[in-house]
Amino acid sequence: MIRMFHVSKNYEGGSFALSDVTLKIAKGEFVFITGSSGAGKTTLLKIMFGSEAPSEGQIIIDGRNYFKIPRAEIPYLRRRIGFVFQDFKLLPQGTVFENVALSLKVMGVGSIEVKRRVQKVLSYVKLSHRANFRAAVLSGGEAQRVAIARALVKDPAIILADEPTGNLDPHLAVETIELFKEVNGRGTTVVVATHDSTLIARYAKRAIGLESGRVVA
Amino acid sequence: MKKRGFTSGVVYLAADALRSMRANAASCALTAVTLGFSLAIFFLFLFIFINLESAVNKWGDKTHIVVYIKDTALKDGVERLRDSARFIPGVKTVEYVSKEKALEELKAELKGHEEIIAGVDVNPLPASFDIRVSPAYTDAQGVASVVGTLKAMSWASDVQYSREWVEKFSAFLRFIELAATAVGVFIAAATVFIISNTIRLTVWARRDEIEVMRLVGATDAYIKIPFFIEGVIQGFIGGVFALGVLTAGRYILLGRMPGYLDFALSLPLDFPELLAALAASGMLMGATASIISTTRFLGN
Repeated sequence: MIRMFHVSKNYEGGSFALSDVTLKIAKGEFVFITGSSGAGKTTLLKIMFGSEAPSEGQIIIDGRNYFKIPRAEIPYLRRRIGFVFQDFKLLPQGTVFENVALSLKVMGVGSIEVKRRVQKVLSYVKLSHRANFRAAVLSGGEAQRVAIARALVKDPAIILADEPTGNLDPHLAVETIELFKEVNGRGTTVVVATHDSTLIARYAKRAIGLESGRVVA
Repeated sequence: MKKRGFTSGVVYLAADALRSMRANAASCALTAVTLGFSLAIFFLFLFIFINLESAVNKWGDKTHIVVYIKDTALKDGVERLRDSARFIPGVKTVEYVSKEKALEELKAELKGHEEIIAGVDVNPLPASFDIRVSPAYTDAQGVASVVGTLKAMSWASDVQYSREWVEKFSAFLRFIELAATAVGVFIAAATVFIISNTIRLTVWARRDEIEVMRLVGATDAYIKIPFFIEGVIQGFIGGVFALGVLTAGRYILLGRMPGYLDFALSLPLDFPELLAALAASGMLMGATASIISTTRFLGN
């Protein structure tokens, strides 16, 4: 599902975010990417998502080599990947419904189908009662669930989550990971980047450790 | 997954553009007003130029050529000679001045000094054609070409025209055209610059929304189309606004300007034509500016 071969990311001035990363994540797997702040977790996810280009190496996602995909086709690849950001990246003036619906609208899905699927996913993340509320008035836990719903609504093959529990209290953090586990149980590949060692210890899932941009475990 | 068709997709994006305009009403109104003022300034300049050029061309009517006819040629009939002059390229009108009329005019000019020609029994004055040239031939080259053809006529004894006037007029016309082109290009560039920057600000104000759209898989076209539609609508509103500004300005100035400047206030287009021209220019500028701004913003 996801394969990286000797991937490096260097910046001008000689500093680097990733160095010679080789990894393999199988279809339907649940994987934690761990490491302290600045270890390269976010860069790794961004490269998997196609929002940052590696300086060296090869990446195969969902059977396609990133370097052979024309720029114009990147949006179509992103439609197969759900990304959950630490800062949620919701449209504050849009309602919960509109934020989730955006994922389907950009794909050209008809409005009846959009309504049906958004209602279904909001019910799944237990936010149906907040559908018409503006994102700006939601609590951190609710906003995170909206972000997850937006990633899930398009039935992605892969979910990438960058510190999805970073802004949540421990109880909500567990709830969020439980939600990802449930999604994973339906066959979706889930990659969660986190520095929260208690969460990693709680779940018996494979963890790929990063330290100064290198894979250590 | 059921997808929208092309037409319903465009309708959907248009509705999205309208929703976004409602949500960002203040910045949209600002863009439309800026566009309207820019268009009004551009069209004001255009009208001044058109009116000035038409006034200057009227002065060009003063350019006339006198061609004297050999007495011997008159026996062939004036009409035949007149026709041969009338069909020369650049000739607008040909007025025949007979020998008798020339004498009468001379007498009128010499009123009080009639003794000068008192002893003349035979009319010594030649008949002539007073020729006016068409506007396209009022420059020095045009007049010279008409004069050259007239001189070659077998019946012409002499051709006279005011070379100095023609040359000065021609130089003045060239200066007006050059100045107008320079000012016109400057105003047009400034207008496009102002509008594209105003739209750029509205795109920038929605950068978070655009970023989120890209992250969830929106294509560049999907992001650009609503801005394009917004640009066209804002351009149309700006065009109508510009019409209001121009009409109000004209109404205020009418009767308050010295009479000799009245020509500057005449409209070279009918009202519906003017509305169509302003709306079309506004829409074109709005669309172009939105394409430039979004393409720059999306980095391709």
